[in-house]
Formats: sequence, structure tokens, C-alpha cells
Amino acid sequence: MKKLLGLALGVLTAIGGFVDIGDLVTNAVVGSRFGLSLVWVVLVGVVGICLFANMSGRVAAASGRATFEVIRERLGARAGLANLGASFFINLMTVTAELGGIALALQLASSVQYLLWIPVAVVAVWIVIWRVRFAIMENVAGLLGLCLVVFAVALFLLKPDWANLAGQALAPAVPGSETGAGYWYYAVALFGAAMTPYEVFFFSSGAVEEGWSVKDLGQARSNVLVGFPLGGLLSVSIAACAAVVLLPAGVAVTSLSQVVLPVAEGGGKLALAFVIVGILAATFGAALETTLSSGYTLAQFFGWSWGKFRRPVQAARFHLSMILCLVVGVGVLATGVDPVLVTEYSVVFSAIALPLTYLPVLIVANDPQYMGHHVNKRPVNVLAMIYLVIILAASVAAIPLMIITGAGS
Amino acid sequence: MNPDGPLSPHPPVAGRVLDAQLHLLDRQVLDADGVPVTTADDIEIDGLEAGVPIPPGAPAPSLTALLTGPVLGTRIFGGRPPSSRLIRILWKDVADVGIVISLGVRGGSLDADWVERWVRDKIIARIPGGRHDPR
Amino acid sequence: MILGDVLGTPVHDGDGNRLGRVADARFVIDGAPGQLMAGARLFGLVVSPHSAASFLGYERTGLTQPWPLARILRWRHRGSFLVQWHDIAMIGPDSVALRADFTRYDPALPKRAGGG
Repeated sequence: MKKLLGLALGVLTAIGGFVDIGDLVTNAVVGSRFGLSLVWVVLVGVVGICLFANMSGRVAAASGRATFEVIRERLGARAGLANLGASFFINLMTVTAELGGIALALQLASSVQYLLWIPVAVVAVWIVIWRVRFAIMENVAGLLGLCLVVFAVALFLLKPDWANLAGQALAPAVPGSETGAGYWYYAVALFGAAMTPYEVFFFSSGAVEEGWSVKDLGQARSNVLVGFPLGGLLSVSIAACAAVVLLPAGVAVTSLSQVVLPVAEGGGKLALAFVIVGILAATFGAALETTLSSGYTLAQFFGWSWGKFRRPVQAARFHLSMILCLVVGVGVLATGVDPVLVTEYSVVFSAIALPLTYLPVLIVANDPQYMGHHVNKRPVNVLAMIYLVIILAASVAAIPLMIITGAGS
Repeated sequence: MNPDGPLSPHPPVAGRVLDAQLHLLDRQVLDADGVPVTTADDIEIDGLEAGVPIPPGAPAPSLTALLTGPVLGTRIFGGRPPSSRLIRILWKDVADVGIVISLGVRGGSLDADWVERWVRDKIIARIPGGRHDPR
Repeated sequence: MILGDVLGTPVHDGDGNRLGRVADARFVIDGAPGQLMAGARLFGLVVSPHSAASFLGYERTGLTQPWPLARILRWRHRGSFLVQWHDIAMIGPDSVALRADFTRYDPALPKRAGGG
């Protein structure tokens, strides 16, 4: 049991990265419009984030330095500040969206108006960050988030045409109702969603929170190899459910209730209960992950004392900055903006900010001063360089595609 | 002067070599207990005046302090904060330079720590549970 | 004096020709012994003809991995050299002037370099 709980960090990081409120809706949108023809992107993204998170986790375990400390040290003050600005802005947008997502999930469960749940959501998130031990937080959120596996269960219960689904996935083609530009826009969005920088900030800082050292390198690898593929699997299940139920019916996904429609259809009320618990846990976990990432990135760039393993009075600026983030998030939500729309944009901006986050980690993972003899092996470096090219390509293509397709509409 | 010829081999040195940008700047500064204090944003040198020709045989300037705080803004964007506003971490307080810069003193006694202390005393300590030990 | 004012400024030789920019400042810990570490004296400046920022130090450390990056960054910093303190005529507010007979040294870090 203890070994399984030791994987909680990887699982929670993946949940916050792959099935937060934005991805829940994006995966359903993709399934309902493109079927499974974009599954290969999820695969490419999963391999990429496994590679990236593993490198940053190894750096944190071997040297005790979390990712943004590495970014500041390698990029210097100017480029590091630019990266901080972009990453912090993305984090903040995502925090806002996740708080909204918690409120949406609670509305789905209770039929009480969404805006009324926002104060509940933000206070709950803050109390967990202020008070709850890191280990308990990751175990509970990670475990409950796994309820989302009910999407996979519902997929089987729906008795789909497996040959048809396999054909869509293995021989990808742009469906007749969509444009090539729209296809590639969603490809970049799915890739950005899989490789969001805050996953790496959270994972490496979590490694320091847990006190991982050189003897935990194996555990770091297990966390990565279990957590992220699981996240990818959940992503694909959501898309597949939408492909089976919503695509033939031509239903456009605009809200959370459409995302869970296939589950209700396949598994009835019991499945619906599970999926609501799962969505609540996933959005709550994502809110925790992104809020903590906001604190981690600021504190690590400026050299503040940080960490949930310290008393709040010993990490004062860290906690103050997170409180301010939550306040800003609530302020933005109070204006009535659609949280899901916010994530759709933040995912694309993540793809743009990714290269400057990836490069320092790759370089430090090869630096014997940080890593001792645990530097990257040759095959890892080759794969990492290939992904550097992919990341640069996605980063360059993101804005033009967003403009051409009008953000995928 | 040998503009296109081979470079002369590095002269022998009697102590450890540290390059400012490579080893010192932008590194985390941890106090004697391993608690982060700040990052090294700039470096102060003594024994050198800008714009004044250096007489031959003049002794090399020495590194007196690491700088932090508002100097980060001026390092990126230009300009210079007045000397009295610089937050210094004296070189004599530095115990070791590695992946991070380790000090031999506690953070509580340093100028560089004052913002943290202020936020702690004025804000965080006033929220219930601020002193709670998470372990 | 603040080092940030010197880093990145142009370097000229005795005749006023531009040689590059200050990429880094090298210190040696061989000054007066203190309680913790001995004093650090300025040993010299690393000058790079092609790029203002040192960026990642590949040209001075023995790092060769990942090799495409190492190759690119070494190429960006080709021609970098070290000048010693006694070859520096003036460190001005906006530029550095070297003496007429300065020597270019290999900027690679000697064995006893760095931290850790």
C-alpha cells in the first residue's frame, strides 16, 4: 500500500495536467468533432511529459533544486524574468479556471448556482494549501481523481464499434466537417495541455517537498511512468466517449453536462455519481497544483523561502503570494468570465512558453555539478533533442493557428 | 598581442576560480540552516573606480558583497540604485559556493531577509495557524 | 563598483579597436583569509567577440552533452578569451579599455574552478 501511495505525486501531477477543467472540456470537444483522429497527439504528449518531468524530478532529487531555481540560474535574470512573467500569467489564468471548474462541478452535483460556489471553492483550496500536509493532499486528491476512470468503464458499457474507433486512431484523417487548420490547432492545444509547464514546476517542487534524494530516483521514475500514461489514458477515454456518443449525434460540447453525458448514458446514475466525484477531485487537485505552482515559481525565481514542509511563518512571502493569486482568481471569476474559455487560451500559451522552460532543465540534467554521475544517458539525450524540435515547432505554430482558426471555432 | 594566433594557456592560480556569471550570479543563497534567503542578483567590487585609468601594478579589486533586491531591476533594465539602498550580503559571510551559495550565518541576522521578516510579522503571523508545524 | 554595470559592455584594445563584449568576470579565492572563505580577487575578464551574454558557459566548462546544443553554443562563443587584471587599462562607465600589449588567454576554467 505504501508503495502505491508513493506514486501519489505522479498521479496528482498528471491529473492536474491531463484532466483539469480545461482538458476535460477540450478532450470532449476533440472527441465530438474529430473522433479519435488526434489520439496520436496525446501519445506524443505523454512521452514528452514523461521525459520532461523525469528529467526535472531527477534534477530535484539529485541536487535538491526545483525547476524554477534551475531556470533562473541557467537563463539569467533577463530571460528568466521573461519566462517567469509568461509562466506566472499562465498559472494565474489556470488557477482562475480551476476555481471556476470546482464551482461548475459543484453546480453539476447540486444544481445550486455556480457563482455561489466560488467562495466555497476558493476558501477550501486556501485551507488545504495553508494547513493540510503535502502528503495527505496528494494522496486524497490523487486517489479521488482516479474516479475519472469511470469514463473508460462507461466506454466499455457503451459497446462501441471498436474497429471503427481503432481505425480513427491508427489512420488519422481530418473529418470532412473540419478544416486542416482546425485539426492542427487542436493538435497543438492537446500537446500544450499534455506538456504544460506547471506540471513540471509542481512535480519537481513536490519532489523537494517529499525530500526525495538520490536514492529515490527509482521512485521518481515510477511516479512518472505510472502517473502520466494514466493521465493520457483518462484523456483518451474522455475523447472516446465523446466520439461514440456525441460525434454521431452532432452535439457541440460547450459545458460540463455534455462532457458527462456519455457516462450517464453508459453507466447510469451510479457512474454519474463517480464521474462527478472524479471531476470535483480533479479540478480541486488542479487548483491546488496550479496555485502551489504560482507560489513555487515566484519563490524560486526570487530566492524566497518556500515549501509546504515549512511553517507558514517560515515561508511568509510564498504563502502571501498564493493568497494574492487566489484573490485575483476570484476577482476575475466574479466578472462572469467563462472559466473554460480561459483554459482554452492558457493551453495554447503554455505551448508558447514551453521551450524556455524545457531547455534549462535539459541542460542541467546533463551537468555533472548538479547531477553527479546521474546525468542523462545518451538515448535520453537523443529523445530529448527530438522533443526540443517538436516543442519549438509547436511553440512557433501556436499563435498563427490560433489566429487562423479563431481559437478553434 | 596575438589577434589570430593561438591563445596562451591559462596562468596558474593559487586558489579556487569563480566566474561571476557562471558560478555566482542568479544562484540561490541559503543561510547556515539551509533556509533560502534570496538570489544573488549582482556583485559589488571594492578598489575600482569607473572611468579612472588604472595605474600599472595596482592591486586587483576584491569582491566585497553579493547584492540583492532592487538591484535586480536595474541589472535587467539599466540604471543603478543609490548605494545606501543596496541590500548586501557580505562576502565574509559566505561559507561555500557550489550549486548554491551557502552562508555561514543565520538568515535572521541579515539585511537581505528584512522583507521576509516584515511579511511574516505583519501578515502571515496574524492569520490563525500561521505558526502551525506541518509535520 | 557594481559588476552588473561592467558585464556586457564593449571591450577595446589600445588602439580603440573593438574586440567584443565582457562576457564574464573571473575571481580567484586567494586573498586575505577570512573566517569562512578567503577573499576573492578579480583575476580578469572573459571577452567574447560575438555574443554579449555568456548564457550557459559551454565555452569554458568541459560540458559536451547534449552535443547539438554544445556545438551551437561553442560556435556562438568562438574566439572568446581571457584578459588578466594587469592588462586592463580602464574599466569605464560604458566600456573597458585594455593595455596595448595585452595577452589573450584560454578562457577554459582551470581544474580548481567553480563550486561544488
